[in-house]
Amino acid sequence: MNMDYDQYNGMDGDDSGPRVVIRKANATTIDFALQHTTLALANSLRRTMLAEIPTLAIDLVEIHSNTSVLADEFLAHRLGLVPLSARDIGGLLYGRDCTCEDFCNDCAVFLRLSVENRSSNENVKIFAKHLTLEKRNGEAIDMTRDPYGRAATENEVELPPRGFPIIMDEKEQGPLICQLRRGQELKVRCIAKKGIAKEHAKWAPTAAIGFEYDPHNKLRHTQLWYEADVKEEWPDSKNVDWEEPSQEGERFQYEAEPNQFFINLEGTGVMPPDAILHNGIRTLQEKLANVIKGLRDTSDPSVPNGLDGGGSPMDGVMNGGGTQYGAHSAYGGGQSAYGEPGYSTAYGQGSVYGGGMATPYGSRGY
Amino acid sequence: MAQDSDDREMEDAAPGAEANESTNGDFIKEKQRLRLLPGSTDTAASFAFEKEDHTLGNALRYMIMKNPEVEFCGYSIPHPSEAVMNLRIQTFDNVSVFEVLRKGLTDLADLCDVVEDKFTAARDEFDAAHPDGEEA
Repeated sequence: MNMDYDQYNGMDGDDSGPRVVIRKANATTIDFALQHTTLALANSLRRTMLAEIPTLAIDLVEIHSNTSVLADEFLAHRLGLVPLSARDIGGLLYGRDCTCEDFCNDCAVFLRLSVENRSSNENVKIFAKHLTLEKRNGEAIDMTRDPYGRAATENEVELPPRGFPIIMDEKEQGPLICQLRRGQELKVRCIAKKGIAKEHAKWAPTAAIGFEYDPHNKLRHTQLWYEADVKEEWPDSKNVDWEEPSQEGERFQYEAEPNQFFINLEGTGVMPPDAILHNGIRTLQEKLANVIKGLRDTSDPSVPNGLDGGGSPMDGVMNGGGTQYGAHSAYGGGQSAYGEPGYSTAYGQGSVYGGGMATPYGSRGY
Repeated sequence: MAQDSDDREMEDAAPGAEANESTNGDFIKEKQRLRLLPGSTDTAASFAFEKEDHTLGNALRYMIMKNPEVEFCGYSIPHPSEAVMNLRIQTFDNVSVFEVLRKGLTDLADLCDVVEDKFTAARDEFDAAHPDGEEA
């Protein structure tokens, strides 16, 4: 692992490489500074945390009876936005990956909402707390175990089991879903599934991510608009104390790069903010692993794949040298310098580099 | 006469052959998400990643540029409505583009590990210093 650190600043020891300094933390929010990494990674992490962490949300609503003032689809939309606990979401399959025909307990969570205003002259309010969990066959799941279990310390709010609605208000009711007048009722069965925010924002685990770097604009990544005086019109950010302000007459460092990022991660409560960050990093690594796998699979010439670049535009250009890359073709067009003509992959077996092993960066066991 | 015509009788398929059988069962469902664009060689290649965007592109580009053997590395998104990201890598001398890509991917994964470890360490340190869960 040390070999990889050398790329970043050529120093050994724990001081080199990325650093994290946590400034504030509570049950929903972590405010920290990420140092000695690159803007590219910090931004990719931010994007992943916002859009690609799998969570759980209601996706299908079977309406048995709805005599409320809200339309069925309106209600279904609201139910989709109710935050549900995403504990152990890794253990739940995506609906498309599950082998079951419809939905089962391995790929979905079933909830029931059944409220009626029989005789009250006041509106009966339906809150998220009225949602109850059940198994696919209708067998109810015990919710009496304190589902909103709060541990003694604020930092360790234990997440309720997967699928439980997240209730964080002091009255312990959760979001208001609907109101019923006397005689109205609502009976629905909801199916919650795993998904990511790219598909629909209801699956977003983050409420917001604050992201700032270079509070003094020393990198000149922006130009602040002003009427008379920049310094008077623009208030200081709360991160100004964490970096040196630019001195009078200081030359502009044109080679400087962003090095310190102030991130304020606020979750919706469906998973603790630590989990959001860990899952963000893990999701990013899974993306990378999928690409590596795709690359490795395409190295095997016996498997038909698209890595041969598609047939038609190249068919007439094999030996004609029409490309601007020196008439070299990866498809063994007889002019390739890398091995006998006629073999279809440009790498893997028979490569001049000893099977791709001996790069100056060390051997790879591929 | 039947023997003079060019008609041939269609024979039944040989036993064991199936209409849509593929050499690798897994690839029936999953479409290839990584393609090599035409005109690519072993030292200068363009890749097309499907279902990818700046999240992977910018980070991967940064990591590949760190490699001193790389002459050029850039990524683009041909159209925002289509989830495709193109990545071009050109290397000096005889370095394989595919090795460079693999190295960039693994290095990025390692960097993620480091950041995660540092965060965990900092978080534990913070929790130990603030047992009552106060804010800093």
